[in-house]
Amino acid sequence: MGKAYRLLYDENACIGCQACSVACRVEHGVPEDFFRLQVRMELKGVFPRLGMSYERMACVMCEDAPCVSVCPTFASFQDKDGLVHIDERVCITCKYCILACPYHARFVNPLKNVVEKCDFCYESRVSKALLPVCVSICPTEALMFGDMNERDSLVYETSHKEALIFPKAHLKTKPKVAFLPKRKGMKS
Amino acid sequence: MNHIAGSLEQYSTLIWHWPIAVYLFLAGLSAGAAMTSLMVKWIEGNNKAPWDGLIKAGALLAPLTICLGLFLLIFDLTRPLHFWKLLIHYNFSSVMTLGVLGLFIYTPLSFIYAAIKFKPWLFETGPFAGLLKPFKGIIDSIGDNPAWLERTLFLFAVIIGIYTGFLLSAMYSYPLFNTPLLPILFLASGLSSGVAASILFGLLFFKSEVNQKNAKYLLELDLRVVPMELLLLFALFVGMYFQGGDKTLVAIQALTTGVWAYVFWVGVIGIGIATPLLIAVTALKHHAYRVGYILLNSVVVLVGVVFLRLYILYAGQTFIG
Ligand code: SF4
Ligand code: SF4
Ligand code: SF4
Repeated sequence: MGKAYRLLYDENACIGCQACSVACRVEHGVPEDFFRLQVRMELKGVFPRLGMSYERMACVMCEDAPCVSVCPTFASFQDKDGLVHIDERVCITCKYCILACPYHARFVNPLKNVVEKCDFCYESRVSKALLPVCVSICPTEALMFGDMNERDSLVYETSHKEALIFPKAHLKTKPKVAFLPKRKGMKS
Repeated sequence: MNHIAGSLEQYSTLIWHWPIAVYLFLAGLSAGAAMTSLMVKWIEGNNKAPWDGLIKAGALLAPLTICLGLFLLIFDLTRPLHFWKLLIHYNFSSVMTLGVLGLFIYTPLSFIYAAIKFKPWLFETGPFAGLLKPFKGIIDSIGDNPAWLERTLFLFAVIIGIYTGFLLSAMYSYPLFNTPLLPILFLASGLSSGVAASILFGLLFFKSEVNQKNAKYLLELDLRVVPMELLLLFALFVGMYFQGGDKTLVAIQALTTGVWAYVFWVGVIGIGIATPLLIAVTALKHHAYRVGYILLNSVVVLVGVVFLRLYILYAGQTFIG
């Protein structure tokens, strides 16, 4: 059976330290001022019910991925587990996928002149049974990663315990990344 | 808001720039010119050489502008030398792939059609006559009125005109792109730019061969397409306005804020639509044949269509709700 990967991001645990973002750039040699991953922070609410709202900006690994359907050359493709990758040799850098991605997850790497995005650290780590580097470095365990087909995995248990939010769910892209929304306080 | 997350540049830059807008313009013009040439040719009595100057102008513009557009498109790629990969991988769910396949058929047909219209120059009097001799037999065997070729060319001209709209409207995170009217709007404005360019080109280069009757026919056609564009633009924005949420917001922003609102009101509406209509009801009233005004009319229509493509591409990427 294929894997059903899922990445969970717990807004309640995140402290906005950017450790994941830094680890990601180091792991993948992302050029300065470009990002596979950002954690955005914003003060929200009305005094005294104020709170920080956090947002993880990165590829959400759509099951119905618009980037894959618009790519004219199949340079953007889905592997057997449904993860979306970019074949650098086939990409003509037409940037159609960058426009098509509703999550603004893609950019042109100026060193390679090829489109790049989060790949769930597949090549360098997940395919070797390691956790994605952002997940393993997070000091507050705000990030969880695993296989939904394994009943005893942390992501399986958490997904069945908590109310999840799938980003831009109305677009029906069926992301593999889900958020655990803030439980406390502020109105947004 | 703090920027501890890092630069936001990557998330706010424009992805597709002006060469794409110019390509969209040229592709639409090419399709429109092919349609124009065919429509004039299909008029009773126009189906034999010597061809009318307008038929020749359209026939020549179609292959030239599509090639120019494609060159621009290829050199705008970040890695132009990887272009050929587009020709060996086909993703049938991608509008870009479908466009490439359409161009595979459209472009050669437009060349053959032009060759028929310029037979004497190509094979006898022109500078390449010697070089092109071997192809004369092929073009001769097709004849002067190949119905199958002309119909297929017309069909694919319509397809190319429409595809440039679908290329953008397939992107659903940009409200201004993602409207069902965009492909029709691009087809209509492509046709009007093709008509205008054919008149301009025909009167400048093949003036002695242009029959007044045909020029008037095209002017009348243009006078029907231009109000149509206005109607489509109106329906597009009002439609977005009533869709609520982001779409309403984008419709308002795109018409009222910043430099792109000026481009719309001055460039697209003022120059591209109001001016030709004004010329039509004043200088060219009762189908007067005043060459100066006819040329001016063509120029403003063309400028307006360039502005329309630029506006849609840039405002579409700028205002996302
Ligand atoms: S988030 Fe964007 S890049 Fe990632 S799979 Fe979805 S559409 Fe593609
Ligand atoms: S930029 Fe590359 S990956 Fe993206 S759509 Fe074009 S060819 Fe495909
Ligand atoms: S999974 Fe890997 S590539 Fe994706 S954001 Fe995390 S560290 Fe970066």
